[in-house]
Amino acid sequence: MGGSSIANETVGVSSGREGITFYQIITNTYLLYTVSLISFFLVWDRVAAWQVFGDSLARPHIVALKLYDLTQIKFAGTNLGGHIWASTQRVLIGFSLASFFAVPLGLFMALNRYANAIVKPIFDLFKPMPPIAWVSISILWFGVGEFSKIFIISIGTFVPCLLNSYNGIRLIEPELYDVIKVLGGSRKDEVVQVSFPASFPAIFAGLQISLSVAWTCLLAAELMNARDGMGFLIKRGMDTHQPSLVLGGMILIALMAWLSSLLISLMERKLCPWKRSIDNL
Amino acid sequence: MNTPSSEPQLKIYCEDINKTFIQKGHMEVPVIRNISLEVEENEFLVVLGPGQCGKSTLLRIIAGLETPDTGYVALDGFPVTGPGPDRGLVFQGYMLFAWNTVMGNVEMGLKLRGVPKQERRAVAHHYIRLVGLEGFENHYPHQLSGGMKQRVGIARAYANSPKVMLLDEPFGQLDAQTRMFMQHETSRIWEHEKRTVIFVTNNIDEALFLADRIVLMEGKLPGRIKKEYIVNLPRPRDHENPDLLELRALITSETELVL
Repeated sequence: MGGSSIANETVGVSSGREGITFYQIITNTYLLYTVSLISFFLVWDRVAAWQVFGDSLARPHIVALKLYDLTQIKFAGTNLGGHIWASTQRVLIGFSLASFFAVPLGLFMALNRYANAIVKPIFDLFKPMPPIAWVSISILWFGVGEFSKIFIISIGTFVPCLLNSYNGIRLIEPELYDVIKVLGGSRKDEVVQVSFPASFPAIFAGLQISLSVAWTCLLAAELMNARDGMGFLIKRGMDTHQPSLVLGGMILIALMAWLSSLLISLMERKLCPWKRSIDNL
Repeated sequence: MNTPSSEPQLKIYCEDINKTFIQKGHMEVPVIRNISLEVEENEFLVVLGPGQCGKSTLLRIIAGLETPDTGYVALDGFPVTGPGPDRGLVFQGYMLFAWNTVMGNVEMGLKLRGVPKQERRAVAHHYIRLVGLEGFENHYPHQLSGGMKQRVGIARAYANSPKVMLLDEPFGQLDAQTRMFMQHETSRIWEHEKRTVIFVTNNIDEALFLADRIVLMEGKLPGRIKKEYIVNLPRPRDHENPDLLELRALITSETELVL
């Protein structure tokens, strides 16, 4: 037994030391990434150039040029940076407001069964409602100003924030509390030393989900009614038949959503250095 | 640390303990039936029995995490009313705090009791060295192997200077080789810093290697004590020792095989 396992290891080591083969080159991950991206843009460009969708698909470089133009000129009162900031501001305010209240409430509900008994039925009532369903009613209530957009984003992000911090505590291994008890700790020690730190990854998972919901809600709100923002650019592109503007807006929103999610990831890595790095995908 | 007294001191005393769990659907499952047990100071007692025989529940009752329906547990003559730092518990599933380093885990008990940082660091460091993890103070649990994790678990319990160490199948999740190595380590650590130990296992060789006395449980619920064996052999022990093998054959013959 022991002898054969050593032999296996030796074989494994020697095969890794052979020269680079053709097979290894064509299976190199970075090469495949590059091939994949180039093919995508090539197909996009050809489909647009051959007018498969008539004139409703702009070629990639036209979209890039359109975005560049928008940085140079004022479009509906502000340049591209202004539109990006208008949207980002809405997401930031709505998201911060919701998480500021939802995360502590979720933790509190999980730790206190009376709080849970009071809040949970109402929460369960609202939970299955898609956040975009709030768009119309919030316009009725608050008009078409900033407040109604922030309201929609807050409502949408509130649910995943609360749910994840709640589950973060609910799913803690009960024996971890026993450790604190056996070491001589109090109920307060259990909460401070186990509940809070153990729920951190779940809270961050909730923030990530919330953030992507926030951008979705933002887009819905801006498509309905807005005078600036990336959703406005898309809407205007649609109304005036400028596919390059629509695609440009879509790309920008994706870019901003990706950047903000990256920011949360960095924050998480800073605050939870102990978390196993399995989420590198 | 403790001066040897002329007569052995009674450390843990369990008086006629009964425990029944109520499962869903109001089904009563008797888990422990009429268990009485005495453990002397600095004795290494092993509770041996197959899975699902109530041995872990017995340990949790002694730890104070469960209350017996009848009977009581006494430590140094005082009845146990709940968990406390005088009894250290090592868990089968390690139960380390993933968000704390090795140091943070080992010093937790002292931290909870308000021991100043400098002091508790020194104590924790002593036990980290004792379990052979020097140099890993700043590692997080996920960076450690199973055997190393359980060393942290042992150091964490030890650092709180409990009077009694309770180990609940501590090596159940380890591979056979690591398990054997950890048995040697446990023996070494125990000889270095003697404590009263109650060690629960389902592994007869582990029991024979470590125990001063083995308590054999019945093979099924409700858990009862079937028999006791004194293991009076010099340490460190050899698994091939003829006396040990003889005792092993005896215990095996009295252990019914249940599925």
